[in-house]
Amino acid sequence: MNDMRLTERAVNAEHTKIAARGVQVHYGQTHALKDVDVDILDHTVTAFIGPSGCGKSTFLRCLNRMNDTISVCKVTGDIRLDGEDIYDRRIDPVQLRAKVGMVFQKPNPFPKSIYDNVAYGPRIHGLARSKADLDGIVESSLRRAALWNEVKDRLAAPGTGLSGGQQQRLCIARAVATSPEVLLMDEPCSALDPIATAQVEELIDELRANFSVVIVTHSMQQAARVSQRTAFFHLGHLVEYGDTTQIFTKPKDPRTESYITGRIG
Amino acid sequence: MTDAAAPKSLLVQDTRTRRRNTAEARFQAYGIVAISISLGMLAIMLWTIFSDGVSAFRQTTFSFPVTLEAERLDPNGNRNRDEMAKVTTIGYTNLLNASLKAHLEVRGISFEGVDDKGIAAFISRDTPARVRDMVLANPAMIGQTVTVSGFTTGRIDGYFKGRVTRETAAVDTNISAAQLDLADRLAEAGIMRTGFNWQFFTNPDASDQRPEAAGLGVAIIGSAYMMILVAIFVLPIGVAASIYLEEFAPKNRWTDLIEVNISNLAAVPSIVFGILGLAVFINFAAFPQSSPLVGALVLTLMTLPTIIIATRAAIRAVPPSIRDAALGVGASKMQMVFHHVLPLAAPGILTGTILGLASALGETAPLLLIGMVAFVANYPAGPFEGGFLDPASALPVQVYSWASRADPAFIERSSGAIIVLLAFLLVMNILAIVLRRRFERRW
Repeated sequence: MNDMRLTERAVNAEHTKIAARGVQVHYGQTHALKDVDVDILDHTVTAFIGPSGCGKSTFLRCLNRMNDTISVCKVTGDIRLDGEDIYDRRIDPVQLRAKVGMVFQKPNPFPKSIYDNVAYGPRIHGLARSKADLDGIVESSLRRAALWNEVKDRLAAPGTGLSGGQQQRLCIARAVATSPEVLLMDEPCSALDPIATAQVEELIDELRANFSVVIVTHSMQQAARVSQRTAFFHLGHLVEYGDTTQIFTKPKDPRTESYITGRIG
Repeated sequence: MTDAAAPKSLLVQDTRTRRRNTAEARFQAYGIVAISISLGMLAIMLWTIFSDGVSAFRQTTFSFPVTLEAERLDPNGNRNRDEMAKVTTIGYTNLLNASLKAHLEVRGISFEGVDDKGIAAFISRDTPARVRDMVLANPAMIGQTVTVSGFTTGRIDGYFKGRVTRETAAVDTNISAAQLDLADRLAEAGIMRTGFNWQFFTNPDASDQRPEAAGLGVAIIGSAYMMILVAIFVLPIGVAASIYLEEFAPKNRWTDLIEVNISNLAAVPSIVFGILGLAVFINFAAFPQSSPLVGALVLTLMTLPTIIIATRAAIRAVPPSIRDAALGVGASKMQMVFHHVLPLAAPGILTGTILGLASALGETAPLLLIGMVAFVANYPAGPFEGGFLDPASALPVQVYSWASRADPAFIERSSGAIIVLLAFLLVMNILAIVLRRRFERRW
């Protein structure tokens, strides 16, 4: 398998899902993100790459306002989801997060059963009218996360008892169960072995059919394998953003070229 | 190749390694010494308490037949309760003393060298009062012969339990060798026997003259009432305050100030809370003195800081990834706390609460100030009949008040009360462990 294989780049929708303009993030005195402009397309996998501390995770967490939980964090600028400013005073972050799901770096299933892990989101958002409805959502979510066949006989077993890769797929199932429109993934494979990584990557490609996926990754091979669009962050700046093929084959910015060839980072 | 360059064998320790190993061995020895000292102290403490206190759980009683003579108890012969009430306990005391003497004569037991006063010293002053109450409740008993049983006085009781010996009796003007001889003969004749002292758990406190009748009944009820109330007050307030401070409160100068003050409050001497309770609950709010309600309020104030600190630690120990996960699927902050954080923090919260309650159970100083050290001879009413407002005592306060009395029989009871208190604490700690296990076993 060629690690740098570039998957089919057919971006079948040019509709912009999230538009960010002039986003600045401050952590107290630290200026973590400087003037970032990004358009994230629907039904596309967008990868954020860059060295540690470059602000890619920070930007990702801006997209569903997870940064609100950090009291010293201040976000300015304009981020629009389908044309609506998500930092508008009238927006409730809880509703936003139901639309923009998130998968974290470390698998973090709830210490509950596999079923309850997936059913939790639909329950609190009232997505299921009956028990049968809920069962259906749980099954389809687990199927989408390619986990159904492994766990269908032990839905009542604790989610924390699964292996690392299964746990991460459970977290993905949990995130897709609320039928979000955008799925944010913060280094979803960094705690996984190569086999589990391959499974999750395959999954990401399938999820593209229904969602707009944004993935932060440290691995350039991974970005090349799974994404159609790539953004390169460096020291808080968005250096370059474009089609993955173009970024990896003909980078415009010398810093991007240095990074993908391993000279900085 | 020279000797200096020869590789050193790993089988020989070099100086540095040897020094390092000695230091480690020395450090371990310090630790073992420290633990041995504390275990030794614990053993000494337990040995003292148990050697003094176990005898409180045994009590010598007597029983002999008494004819309830009409001419003594109802001189007018009307069987009228009000007229009979004119015969005081002194009249009953005389009757019991005379009956015991007569019974000794009938059984042919010699009481040589023991005068009437000496015989009277066998019967607790508690008994005449009990017989009087019994007769007044049922005047038809007069004229019958009934078997009266009751406690023997503290010193005779002490003789059977080894606290009073012939050597101590020789220097004690309250008891003579002849009385001890008589006590032996009475025990032989089956008139006196030593058995388990159930009354120690049920009787209320008793006056200085009759330590043998003193029990922990009121103190146990009082302590139980207080623990119930403290648990009801402290758990919701403490948990709600902790959740707010930990999860919702903005981090600013005010919350910092509150945080520092909570830590300081946990270190405030408990007697200060007693003064506060006296000023606020008794003088200002005019709650009844000596009542479990006031005691519980004071103990609540005292334990709250401890419980808030323990609860906050338990909440903080919940991994942040769980919070992220809950928020990430669109749970509100409140849902995150109640669905995920609290269940995971529950074992820690429960353990902290029960340990806080245990320390409240053993607290004496604040209760002294709100009048719970008073002599309480009546049981408080049931919890739903206003019992929380009735005067009551508490276990540690009972220990304190008995320990300050002169009669050695009270000192014995004081140690006995400590054993009961320790048993209560042990039960609470076991409860804490069991709850912890149960909640943790779920995942």
